[in-house]
Amino acid sequence: MIQLTNIEKYYANKGVKNYVLRLVTTTINQGEFVSIMGPSGAGKSTLLNIIGMLEEPTYGTYNFLGEDVTSLNERKRIELYRNHIGFVFQAYHLIDEMTVYENIEAPLLYKKVGSSERASRIADLLDRFNIVAKKDLFPNQLSGGQQQLVGIARALAAQPSIILADEPTGNLQSAQAEEIMALFKKLNQEDGITIIQVTHSEKNAQYGNRILHIADGIVKEDVAVIA
Amino acid sequence: MFKLNLKIALRNLFKNKIYAAINIGGLAIGLTAFVLMLLYINHEESYDTWDSALKNVYQIRERHSFFTPDNKEHLQESNESRVGSLIRHKVPQVIAVTKVDPDWDFRTGYSVRVGNADPITVNRMKDSDSSFFHVFKYRFLQGSESNALIAPKSVVLKQSLAKKIFGEGNVLGKVIKVAVWQGDKGMDLTVTGVVEDPQTPETAGFTAIMRTGNKDKDPVNPTNNNYCQVYARVNEGTDPELLNQTLKRVYTDYKKSTAPLKKIEYKSYFADGKYLQLKAIPLAEVHGNRPFELSWLEKLKPVIAICVFLLLVSIINFVNMATAQSVQRAKEVGVKKVMGAYKQQLIAQFLLECALQSIVALFLSVILIEVLLPSFNTQFHVDLSFWHNPHLFNMLLQLFGLFTLVTLLAGFYPAWILSNYDPASVLKGNYSGSLKGIILRNVLVVFQFIISVTFIIAISVMHLQTSYLNNKDLGFERSNLINIRAGYDQDLADKIKRIPGVQYVATTTQVMGNAFNVPEEIQYNGNKISLNTVTISMDALSALGVKLLKGRVFSREYKQDTINTVVLNEAAAKLIDKNPVGKSYKIADEHKMLNFQIIGVIKDYHNEGFDKEVLPTLYKVTTLGGTSSTNNLIVRLNSDKNAAIIEKIKAEWKHNYPDFLMEYTTLDSAFDKVLENNKRFISMIVLFSIVSVSLSLLGLFALSTFVAKRRTKEIAMRKILGASNIQIVGLLNKTFLVLVIIANLISWPVAYIVVKKWLNGFAYRIDLPLYPFFLATVVSIIIAVLTVSIQARRAALANPVKALKYE
Repeated sequence: MIQLTNIEKYYANKGVKNYVLRLVTTTINQGEFVSIMGPSGAGKSTLLNIIGMLEEPTYGTYNFLGEDVTSLNERKRIELYRNHIGFVFQAYHLIDEMTVYENIEAPLLYKKVGSSERASRIADLLDRFNIVAKKDLFPNQLSGGQQQLVGIARALAAQPSIILADEPTGNLQSAQAEEIMALFKKLNQEDGITIIQVTHSEKNAQYGNRILHIADGIVKEDVAVIA
Repeated sequence: MFKLNLKIALRNLFKNKIYAAINIGGLAIGLTAFVLMLLYINHEESYDTWDSALKNVYQIRERHSFFTPDNKEHLQESNESRVGSLIRHKVPQVIAVTKVDPDWDFRTGYSVRVGNADPITVNRMKDSDSSFFHVFKYRFLQGSESNALIAPKSVVLKQSLAKKIFGEGNVLGKVIKVAVWQGDKGMDLTVTGVVEDPQTPETAGFTAIMRTGNKDKDPVNPTNNNYCQVYARVNEGTDPELLNQTLKRVYTDYKKSTAPLKKIEYKSYFADGKYLQLKAIPLAEVHGNRPFELSWLEKLKPVIAICVFLLLVSIINFVNMATAQSVQRAKEVGVKKVMGAYKQQLIAQFLLECALQSIVALFLSVILIEVLLPSFNTQFHVDLSFWHNPHLFNMLLQLFGLFTLVTLLAGFYPAWILSNYDPASVLKGNYSGSLKGIILRNVLVVFQFIISVTFIIAISVMHLQTSYLNNKDLGFERSNLINIRAGYDQDLADKIKRIPGVQYVATTTQVMGNAFNVPEEIQYNGNKISLNTVTISMDALSALGVKLLKGRVFSREYKQDTINTVVLNEAAAKLIDKNPVGKSYKIADEHKMLNFQIIGVIKDYHNEGFDKEVLPTLYKVTTLGGTSSTNNLIVRLNSDKNAAIIEKIKAEWKHNYPDFLMEYTTLDSAFDKVLENNKRFISMIVLFSIVSVSLSLLGLFALSTFVAKRRTKEIAMRKILGASNIQIVGLLNKTFLVLVIIANLISWPVAYIVVKKWLNGFAYRIDLPLYPFFLATVVSIIIAVLTVSIQARRAALANPVKALKYE
């Protein structure tokens, strides 16, 4: 599904190249749950951003669903966002001016899903995540864990094939964090959604089935998690 | 999608109530000024558009020097009356020609009596000939175009006047008695028609068109001339170019053939660069192009500039506020982008938000306009309305265009900035990208301040010039002096003079409010000098209270004063001789030379606006060399019970002229009228300045809020490192002070040019002082510092822990 070949990312400053990523080559298949781990400044987030096409690599090629997406025009990239990729953020990034319901609805509007279809999908998600009662509240009326649930629901609304999560539990207490990770595991196993997460926590990484250890921009280890 | 965006827009407005109020309020004010101006322009443009057939009507203008303010030849609206019949018979394109009275500004009304009722004064009744309604196709409500003025001594009323005099109902055949001047016994005129008041203003406006018979004929003696306005209706499809060529040929032939009758050499028409000209002006162009005055567009230009600036300032505010707030929206943009929103969709969303605010502002401004229109109408002597505007549809179209323009101007830049946010960085909480906008925002603030500072400088200079004019020595005593609108009548003058408290009764052709210039060429020591001649009665100079510089003024003690003496003003003395008293000059009169002796020199006194210099003038009592007269009966009072004395004068008047109401002005009010236009302009500038300065301050406030927010972390760090609150306030102020000082430096030369140009419009003016410039700088700096400090103080007092807590 995702094939990275010799991905490099550096910033040139007065002729000196500061490498963030060096010669990263890896393949991620449909249905995998990959955790990217490493110390601060190792390049985890940059790697996730490149996978999410939010940043372009300076060098190397990136194939997504068999298509070269190394440098993609905006329109095509947005098509991928609409149909294949869901993002989950550490700071949730719900839109403050929208209710829970509207936040989940937004991606469906961009995808131009019909109104009855929209209503049933949102109802389904609200039901599944037990947040039906919260649907008319605004994000600042929710707890962090609830906000992240909405964030995940929003990412799932467009029925993506892959979810990219940047420290999804970084701002949460451990009990809430476990709940979210369990949810991810369930989504991966029951719905077959590919998940790539960046995390600091060894414990969270155990929910997945593969861990990429990164340090100084280089993939040091690529291990499978034995459940 | 649209619905959701609209919801978000509304929620955002409610969330940032203060900003929204500032934005919308500012825009509403800018729009109000602009729309008022649009209304006014529409009004001026609607002149003479009440009938489509008016495109075939032309005003005829003749070039001559009669009745001009500077005694030189000009193309004028008044023509010698013979021009009327000339073009009627000699120009084939012309179907109908009418001669009609011009609008006199001083003599405002005629006295109208129905039966034995008290007379009422009616303005703008005009004498014309039988063809008036063949040229101007008014809609007849009673009577008909073909019959109305067919008989002499008939009159056609406008519907509004008919209502005023007779009320509703049929008025055909009723008789009104019209007296044109105070001694006039009146003429009975039969009403033969009533025409509808048109919806748009007219150049040849009237309340009634009379046919007294005076306009039917020209003076018998070829050396005598009557002057009147001439309008012609031409065949459909006439080429104006060709029409004017024909006019030129016909007019030249006419002047050539009549020169011997007038005992003038044909060549003299071309002496001293003079030439003959008769021109047809399409009626549509007449109002925008009146002789002796700036066209309305020229007069309005500074106002248009100010309104445009005001709108710009409010739009700049809008842009500033919106970009300053954009940081708050950055996350939304980032999230929407990764959810699959196109950039255009985001731009559309932010434009929608802007449109929402503009439309609210537009509604507010419509309300404001409704509130302001009455006072606007009285200020500008117009009768504008918004909802009852005859061009309402047109107006709404213009408003829609304005709305679109404002939305795009105000919304596009913020929308573009916002939609350009890079999701990868804003979602990480990194807003450095928003720094890009700061240069533009600084430029906008500088621009706003240039406008404000220029306004402040302009106000102070205008204030200085106005107080200079108010306190200027006019050269005559304007208090306790009244001017009755009447010709000099010895009997009445004697009666008034016997009233205790009346010092002088006199007449003059030149007094503030009604000056009448007659050119004359004198020969002094072989030099030919052109002077302005004023005919006065014996006491006039004393009555006016002018200051004598040399010699003496006229007095009954000197028999010679009724024979051949003159008094000069200072300007004339300068042209003639340093010490002219006792010396003589000559003027040529037909075949002989007339000799005049100069007996005195008086100080120049003002009789027109301060935009004109006092003309070199000679004053004479004698009828030698011809006289002229106008309706000025000036009365000098010397008691403190003026009202009672004026009542007594009125009683004498009524005794002498029962058919005519007495009308008078005080010279104080004549003086106020001279300053009126200027005052109106200044009060408008003051109003606009206040609005513009406050809008600029709001803009600065928004920008300082933004900067304080952006530098929250820096401020917190500095506080932790030991900076005091005052140091932090100073730190934030520094950036803005630079902007304000730059704005000041730029606005100095701009203001200098603008103000200098304004001052140059006055013949009597102050030297441009420097201190308004410094004053403006100091004021702008103080208010800027105060504004920024409000925000800076808040930032300085904030707890640094909060700012540093989240990375």
